[in-house]
Amino acid sequence: MPVQTNGELCLLPIGAITQAMRAREVLARGGISATVVRNDPAATGFGCAYAVSYPCEQDRMVRRLLRGAGFRTRGGGKV
Amino acid sequence: MIYFDHAATSFPKPSAVVDGVCECLKICAGNAGRGAYRSSLQAAELLYDCRSEAAKAFGADLPEQVVFTAGATAALNQAICGSLRNGDHVLLSDLEHNAVFRPVWKLAKEGKITYTVFPTFAADPTATPEMILNGIRERIRPNTKLLVCTHASNVCSAVLPVAKIGALCRRYGIRFVVDAAQSAGHMPTDLKAFSANAVCIPGHKGLCGPQGVGLLILDKDTVLEPILQGGSGVGSLNPEMPEDPPERYEAGTLPLPAIAGLREGLKLFRVRSFASVRLHEKLLWESLADELQTVPGITVAAQHFSGSVFSFWSDRLGSEPLAAELDKRGICVRAGFHCAALAHKTLGTPPGGALRVSFGDENTLEQTHIFANAVREILF
Repeated sequence: MPVQTNGELCLLPIGAITQAMRAREVLARGGISATVVRNDPAATGFGCAYAVSYPCEQDRMVRRLLRGAGFRTRGGGKV
Repeated sequence: MIYFDHAATSFPKPSAVVDGVCECLKICAGNAGRGAYRSSLQAAELLYDCRSEAAKAFGADLPEQVVFTAGATAALNQAICGSLRNGDHVLLSDLEHNAVFRPVWKLAKEGKITYTVFPTFAADPTATPEMILNGIRERIRPNTKLLVCTHASNVCSAVLPVAKIGALCRRYGIRFVVDAAQSAGHMPTDLKAFSANAVCIPGHKGLCGPQGVGLLILDKDTVLEPILQGGSGVGSLNPEMPEDPPERYEAGTLPLPAIAGLREGLKLFRVRSFASVRLHEKLLWESLADELQTVPGITVAAQHFSGSVFSFWSDRLGSEPLAAELDKRGICVRAGFHCAALAHKTLGTPPGGALRVSFGDENTLEQTHIFANAVREILF
């Protein structure tokens, strides 16, 4: 069943581009459409990084899927 | 032209590889991992796709385990120098290429490490894998931290029992690095099956990609000290290289067009049957061995087929002048020591080294016949 969305997007910082692309792949396998975006360097504290962006309604599922695939899932939130 | 130097680099490159490089040069504007505009992400997709192909091909679970390097030499330098600390001891085989021997030798010369060469008995047709394993066991020391060896020799094609060596290394807690420069694309090459920590692969040999790119396939739990420092597109405010692979080992801009070509090479490789590749190489090897058997004064480095490389020498003419004469007849072969002094010493080649013929997909039995006739004509 398609997920109802109110249009709000969430963003989860991942790190390097390769990790972000695998995160997107993991989410796609779990039925979640995410996009790879650049994280705001001002928000990371360590400079440039990539993140995945996805509908906020799926935030819990996103974090669960990514944790299961070995990703750190701290931080992030609404864009 | 008859091209018999595939062990140095494959030729001709498949048209899909050529097209992959050209398309990339035409349309990939961005630098991967350096921005989020469309063409930077498009470049990053290409890299990721190539990593995924390579991970599947060489027994890695994740695309992150695939590190792009400038070639197999760069991959070996990273795996060797990134593994060792002062006081460590290294084991390497007596068939190693200088891509393995020189980094080890340099560290030893600087007094940082020690090393021991173990015998492969490559010149002994009765040798068994157990003899090699015993030779390794006898040379392990309490401070042995690394074993590096070739999968298949670039001089005589001898294939080392890497899966057994890897299992032995695991038992002793020794890191295991495999130089797959002459095996990848020719025979099954698998990180997990070898119990290896790292497998080093050139893009431009058996995988038929362009020069300028290689692969370092890393075990998930293996962390190396990066030997190259610089921009990685992540954590720019941190003076340290990032913790996570592959970016940890990929400072600087990657050669995207070469990787685009390699991706196509890997796709072709995925549908290849190793059995048919081996059969083709065996037919060529044995045909050449039969032909040269009738030429007096020729010694062949290996008595039996084991891979795509056939080396020999003549007691009438040195390998370099012989190669020069063959070149006049449009035949491309490699003479000398093939950047592998250890292997030549092991095989007992003469002062001028050996003449190496190395086969690829496009070579034919007729070409081996033309080659043998040319050798006969030059020598007699």
